[in-house]
Amino acid sequence: MSLATVSVSRATTAPRSEALRRTRTPKSLRKVLTYATLWIAFVWSVFPFYWMIATSLRAKDEIFQRPPALVPHSVTIQNYIDLLVGAQFWQFALNSLILTLSVTLISVALSVTAGYAMARHRFKGSVALPLFMLYGQMFPPVLLLIPFYVQLRYLGWLDSLYGLIPVYLSYMLPLCVWLMRGFFSQVPHSLEDAARMDGCTRWQAFWKVILPMAQPGIVAVATWVMIHTWNEFLYASTFILSEKKRTLPLGLSGLIGQYTTDWGVLMAGGVITAAPILLAFFFLQKHLVAGVGGGAVKG
Amino acid sequence: MTARTLNAPGLKRTWSSIFETGLGARIYPYLMVLPAVVIVLGVVVYPVISGVVSSFYDVTLRTLNNGNVTFVGMRNFQRVFADPVFVKASVNTLIWVVLNVVAQLGLGLALALLLHRAMPGIGFFRSGILVPWVVPSVVAVLTWRWMYDPSVGIVNEALLKLGIISDYHPWLGDTATSLYAVTVESIWKGTPFVMLLLLAALQLVPRSILEAASMDGASGWRKLWYVILPQIRVSFAIAAVLTFILTVNNFNAIWLMTEGGPLNSSEILFTLAYKYGFQRFDLGMASAVATMLFVGLVIATTLYLKLIQAREGD
Repeated sequence: MSLATVSVSRATTAPRSEALRRTRTPKSLRKVLTYATLWIAFVWSVFPFYWMIATSLRAKDEIFQRPPALVPHSVTIQNYIDLLVGAQFWQFALNSLILTLSVTLISVALSVTAGYAMARHRFKGSVALPLFMLYGQMFPPVLLLIPFYVQLRYLGWLDSLYGLIPVYLSYMLPLCVWLMRGFFSQVPHSLEDAARMDGCTRWQAFWKVILPMAQPGIVAVATWVMIHTWNEFLYASTFILSEKKRTLPLGLSGLIGQYTTDWGVLMAGGVITAAPILLAFFFLQKHLVAGVGGGAVKG
Repeated sequence: MTARTLNAPGLKRTWSSIFETGLGARIYPYLMVLPAVVIVLGVVVYPVISGVVSSFYDVTLRTLNNGNVTFVGMRNFQRVFADPVFVKASVNTLIWVVLNVVAQLGLGLALALLLHRAMPGIGFFRSGILVPWVVPSVVAVLTWRWMYDPSVGIVNEALLKLGIISDYHPWLGDTATSLYAVTVESIWKGTPFVMLLLLAALQLVPRSILEAASMDGASGWRKLWYVILPQIRVSFAIAAVLTFILTVNNFNAIWLMTEGGPLNSSEILFTLAYKYGFQRFDLGMASAVATMLFVGLVIATTLYLKLIQAREGD
């Protein structure tokens, strides 16, 4: 209110006040500044990614050239060939794939049912459980590492891929339940009621009416789990000991040598590890951004 | 709408119809929740409790093997506090957290404000700026490690060309710069997520309020300070707590670039706990450090949940 009166009096008493005009940057200059800032932010964000691709396409002698050229002189796919010819890479990729699919399948199946029940039904604990899930997500992985290590060792599951599945569930499942509950609470109640009136059983109403409606949410949650499982490093590096059971991130870090590192091959590996994630992201950008951003802020 | 009233006539007593009435209708939400709850109890709650408990026990590889894990009270904590590296790591953790949170929130807010406007090509910039958030953490860290390379790294070359440094510098290998070099990567990686959260918040600010402020002649800064920031303050606080939690838990950046070195110059509590646990195999000491981190994070998480509830109340 006070702001309004001040500006009105200003505008009526001195409509073309020189002082007022000078304090404002001209519109065209502001536009140029905005775009310049956007370009700086863009280059800052994208450059390391560009540099990884550029390095992966350079010949070995060019990589260690001083000073490094911004654009590769001669483009070669030799690094990719070196990476893909070895059986190791495929083994790492296969390990990552198996783990990612298992964890995603389990997380989605369990979080869909749990999220739905929490969003739709009132029962003892239907208020406290979601909060409990969110707490579960915030536990520091370092606190879980030690008990997991002791437990996996006791069960004889150290150095096994299936031993990693429960470990990964610990950091994916709580958030999945929380996100799915958010999605289900946005699906209108009335649809399910209508289906029930038409003689559907609970299960049919859930399976035929509610699940298809919640599909974008399921896609977002599944993508989120896939990305994180594909990327996970800490648990894998602690619990996987033998080389042939390594996952992709672990295999990548293994390419760092004590004295020399073949950066061309390493960067090629980086590109290939990142590629499926980037593809998934660009196809699902909208769902993912809404699901994750919204889930974190709205609750 | 209760289940009991809805007994469709002629419904066969199939497996799923067991859950239509009576006891079945009452227990089936529990059945749907049960598998997830059981797994979370098994893989989160139980390990967390046993992690805290083991900080009071003498757990090493030797005692695990001979089954001689004994209660030692606060001894693990005493040994941790007596370690000069613990003090160093605590100070580093403080620097690491403050720098990351302040920079990510500041840059994230600035980017969100810039990207919130409707301008030609904004979608292009938005996608590009999200790239660090999408690139797998390990890949991003290794790429930065390559860029920091002391002899052929692009960082040295760029700073040399810009006249900021006069000679090649081993950013990750110098005790004076290692922590800050890793922090730059971590800020680069984390800022887009903050931007995303704040962008979502800005989109909820009613257009009419902003237009009214512009009509009243509020300048850009005043509009930001008196109109926009109060509107998004809860989201901003949520972003701050989340950034804090993610920074404390960020292991990959430090471990894959410096392993906490050289000479513990980039050691944070997380990497220190990891070293106690998996290089020295003194799991008791590691649990003690982890338990301290855990207490800090529980406080942060509680704050986060309170903020989310405040947001729902808005």
